[in-house]
Amino acid sequence: MDLENTKAQMRKGILEYCILSILSKNSCYASDIIRELKEAKVIVVEGTLYPLLTRQKNAGLLSYRWEESQQGPPRKYYELTDDGRTFLTDLDSSWDELVDSVNLIRKK
Amino acid sequence: MKITVSINIGGYSFNIDEDAYAELKRYLKSLEIHFAEEESSSEILSDIEARMAELFRARLAGYKQVITMEDVTEIIAVMGNPEDFSDNEGPTRKEKFVTPGAHRMYRDPDRRIIGGVCAGMGAYWDMEPWVIRGIFIVMAMAGGLGIPVYLILYAVLPEARTTAQKIEMKGDPVNIHNIKESVKKEVETVRKKMNL
Repeated sequence: MDLENTKAQMRKGILEYCILSILSKNSCYASDIIRELKEAKVIVVEGTLYPLLTRQKNAGLLSYRWEESQQGPPRKYYELTDDGRTFLTDLDSSWDELVDSVNLIRKK
Repeated sequence: MKITVSINIGGYSFNIDEDAYAELKRYLKSLEIHFAEEESSSEILSDIEARMAELFRARLAGYKQVITMEDVTEIIAVMGNPEDFSDNEGPTRKEKFVTPGAHRMYRDPDRRIIGGVCAGMGAYWDMEPWVIRGIFIVMAMAGGLGIPVYLILYAVLPEARTTAQKIEMKGDPVNIHNIKESVKKEVETVRKKMNL
């Protein structure tokens, strides 16, 4: 068993959940999301984020709008759709269940 | 002294050293191949380019005007190589790309004299194209059979256009590593042609 690989698999599983959680607070542009994910140490290489954002957008969980920026070309701001909010509520409760289950096993 | 190239990434223009340019091009090509099967792959690529432009701009603060190899290497490390973000859906990329034993005959547009038939056969059997051309010329002169055979093969054989097809033509397994190697070769050939 490769420890780094196992860790990477764990991170991968929660990355989509983290993205939705970040966007539930306010609409963000990709670099803001990256910053939060990096602070929380759930992302290693930035390239992982973009296909996930596009997939979530195609699945109707996210939408985006273009916003002018003073520093350069317009930026893409992502926000949760109503479907995305419902989806996130489901994920929240299943996350709590998961944490409870793991804790139960660890404390036995 | 170095030659620089002027490029446009995500709507910003940059001056970049030519070796750094070759590396950046190789990297973007590898991403393009990685995301080729993804829905909205062009959108993903332009989002990534926009982010890279931002990172390059952050490095160009102050007197620094040109993107160097070091900048490119560091930004590739930040963004990650395709093998670092293999996703959790479906088979892994490596499995997806390997088509075991795929070895097909194509017309080889890179080494062609007329239509690339002999060059393609040469690549397929790992022979010098001139040997095959010689056989065709002899066949054409002795009885004229060489010309119709050539025309039929020209009509039947597809041209090797994509990198994957060019690898299949030679019979190497098609995987991300080989494609990278062959893109690298292509970039070098172009560079030599341009006398850079």
